[in-house]
Amino acid sequence: MMDIKNFIIAGIVIALIIGVAAVFMASPDPDGLESTALVVQGEKTLTGVTPEEAELVEDVHGGFAYDSPFPDYGMGESLGKTGEIIAVLVGIAICFLIVLGLAKVAARPQQQENK
Amino acid sequence: MHIPDGFIPITQGIIYWIIALVFIALALRWARKELSEEKVPIVAVLAAAIFALQAFNLPVGMGTSGHLVGGALAAIVLGSPFAAVFILSIVLIIQGVIFGDGGLTTMGVNIINMGVIGGFVGFYGYTGIKAVIKNPYVSAGIAAWFACLIPALAASVELWVAGTFPLVPGLIAMGTYHAAIGIIEGVVTAAAVYLIIHARPDLMDIKTGAAV
Repeated sequence: MMDIKNFIIAGIVIALIIGVAAVFMASPDPDGLESTALVVQGEKTLTGVTPEEAELVEDVHGGFAYDSPFPDYGMGESLGKTGEIIAVLVGIAICFLIVLGLAKVAARPQQQENK
Repeated sequence: MHIPDGFIPITQGIIYWIIALVFIALALRWARKELSEEKVPIVAVLAAAIFALQAFNLPVGMGTSGHLVGGALAAIVLGSPFAAVFILSIVLIIQGVIFGDGGLTTMGVNIINMGVIGGFVGFYGYTGIKAVIKNPYVSAGIAAWFACLIPALAASVELWVAGTFPLVPGLIAMGTYHAAIGIIEGVVTAAAVYLIIHARPDLMDIKTGAAV
């Protein structure tokens, strides 16, 4: 049976490999929700390819807009793939550390098990 | 399946946020009661892996791509739908705030779809199917397929209520695309469950699946 420490390290390594591979290999096609929006907005057909000039209208209801620090999992055009690798690595690290911290705080206290 | 800000009016977004917060509170209660300290690193590594897998869009034809959502995976591995709510809520908040993937006003509805509905469908689908066919990997794969499809159908109803999608065309398109994307969800979830059971069979509460 794999040691728990090795199990965690293996998990993190797998996550990092998937994340970096995603930067180079992920499909640029719109996801299911975006494709549906393009269909109902008349930009594409249900089963057809997505035309290059298809333009998704996101601001349907207006009102609220937010600029994130790493939009589209990147750091802008100038940094290209490097920016995307940094963004995905930052994301994996933040997810691991924040969930680790919050789960530690939220988890069942150890002494309760002895009661 | 991350709904952006402009797709749902803010007032409706607030209602979904309130419902999501109720489930987040229940997830915190689950953690306090059920999550032992030794499982904390597993929760964290699952979150990191789900984030990475969500970045990996695979083509599914029809000019569309998709990726694992991970609600079923989290719920099955940790033995509770609230584990999915816990992990997916944090991952979705990080994606929305730092990467602009999914809106902030729509984060509540995204947590409901992918964390709550995905987690509950994944967990109870898994326990139900496994009680009949016994094979944990096939059960996990089928449950995960439903845990991708049903949240997508829920999203299309929510977007109909919002006035963004027409009902029937929305259901047809979301259903068609996510029936295909669900195959990714199913295969990746089954593979991950296989790897975890083979590496550390004690980590997965397999009995939970058989007993229900």
